[in-house]
Amino acid sequence: MKKYCLGIESTAHTWGVGIVSFGGEDSTLINKTFVPEKGGLHPAMIREHHLNCFSDVISEALLEAKLSIKDINLIAFSQSPGLGPVLKIGALVARMISQILKVPLVGVNHCVAHVEIGRLTCNIQDPLTLYVSGGNTIVSAYESNRYQIFGETLDLAVGNMLDSFARDAGLSHPGGPKIERLASNSKKYIQLPYAVKGMDLSFSGLYTAAKRLLDAPEFNDKYTLDDVAHSLQETAFAMLTEVTERALAHTEKKEVLLTGGVAANKRLQQMIQYICDEHNARFEAVPLKYAGDNGAMIAWTGILRFLSKGRHEINETIIKPKERMDQIEIPWRIEE
Amino acid sequence: MNPDIYKEKLIHTGAEASLYLGKWFDKIVLFKHRIPKKYRLEEIDNKIRMERTLNEGRALIKVKNYGINVPQVYEIDSQNATIIMGYIEGRKLKNLIGILNLSKKEKIFKEIGIMVATLHKNGHIHGDITTSNLIVTNEGNIFLIDFGLHEYSDTVEDKSVDLHLFKRVLISSHGSNYKVCFNAFLESYRTEYEKFDLNESKSIIKNINAIETRGRYVKSEDRM
Repeated sequence: MKKYCLGIESTAHTWGVGIVSFGGEDSTLINKTFVPEKGGLHPAMIREHHLNCFSDVISEALLEAKLSIKDINLIAFSQSPGLGPVLKIGALVARMISQILKVPLVGVNHCVAHVEIGRLTCNIQDPLTLYVSGGNTIVSAYESNRYQIFGETLDLAVGNMLDSFARDAGLSHPGGPKIERLASNSKKYIQLPYAVKGMDLSFSGLYTAAKRLLDAPEFNDKYTLDDVAHSLQETAFAMLTEVTERALAHTEKKEVLLTGGVAANKRLQQMIQYICDEHNARFEAVPLKYAGDNGAMIAWTGILRFLSKGRHEINETIIKPKERMDQIEIPWRIEE
Repeated sequence: MNPDIYKEKLIHTGAEASLYLGKWFDKIVLFKHRIPKKYRLEEIDNKIRMERTLNEGRALIKVKNYGINVPQVYEIDSQNATIIMGYIEGRKLKNLIGILNLSKKEKIFKEIGIMVATLHKNGHIHGDITTSNLIVTNEGNIFLIDFGLHEYSDTVEDKSVDLHLFKRVLISSHGSNYKVCFNAFLESYRTEYEKFDLNESKSIIKNINAIETRGRYVKSEDRM
């Protein structure tokens, strides 16, 4: 009999359920993402959304995996980091199912899960990872039994910056793909601030400058929204690529993994591919299905943790909204 | 082209620049060429390479006046993003940490502390102090290189950030040696900076913790 883990992702606006076999060969995932009618993502509204859909999504995932809830041997959930009220829903549901089914429970760090699902789906061993999403912008690699953070944003996450700019420009959520489309229409570059500090990045000045271009009297006269989108994207991605290259030269890793929601951007993929070629490193972008937030990555990381270090007791399953990925040890890679 | 100035061979390709060994009249020199990065637009790339070349060249010349071991600059060619400088023969500190014994390590990091404090009291921020940017020569002299991200600043904040970045590199790349090395470094930094300004020395070091707790996803109980 094959063993299965059910993973619950609930750190931000996606309620995701994934079912993965202990060997990692079978995986199913269903996502339900909250999309605001207007404005940004309000934690209370996301919470409402997740509460309304959690059981339907679990049923749907089981149906798709052709399994019954009784076939589940392990429950994993996103314990950190994320929005407190949202994390709580995932933890609550996970504890509940684990107690009803009398199966073990494991809490997982969301950022670590992004790396682990990438290693599994791209069949990659020891990558330098650029993780870019609406909530995170992190360059990390495995060193001294942890996923060490070599570079990160000092303020906004790049996805958040792009979404916020899109909203200012009157585009609907999610803004990233729309900016990518607009940018592809333009070849005109407008100078914007480029902020790299060592291996860290800052996007707030860039965001403000791009926003000012929209409000300036020359807008739609000397330049268009396409031009601003192009300039914004080129600057932000050049910064990301530069710090990734620095970290690659410093760590001397031979593989680079691109993951998170922004990983879907073709222009960013092209830029990272370029530096990988220069440093003879293998480049993999995690397939979109697994790159964005999803339950399968939580399930898989839960399995890794369970097989190496066992379950979490109920009093160890308190949510940790602020936990960094470099604060925890990675027991399943210890023998390396 | 001057026949007395030429590149001989490529010795290293870094993230930002290619390094060539060559001759500048009778001197053995290093050509540091910031290579064009094709992944970014030419408009962005040219500006960055030119700015950083000028910035680094000027900084190297300035900080040498304070007796800090840095390469001697012979020529700055910002149009071609190239600096011709003295060649420092030695090994990256990054590759030595694992080999050196405790007292050697402490001695080296104490010296680095004095170096960085000297930079800081004179208003220079290195911007990228890493163990890859510190070269130890066979005679045991320590050289600080790569001033591409150098800035002028007299603020406590910028100085603390400089120290914080160094601390982060030590943690992420030299986990088991971090405590010994960073403590030796910080102690001598403090002693050296105190001679210049006692209060500011205290503020800079105290502010390192403040920066850390400002970071993303730090547990609330760890916040100050």
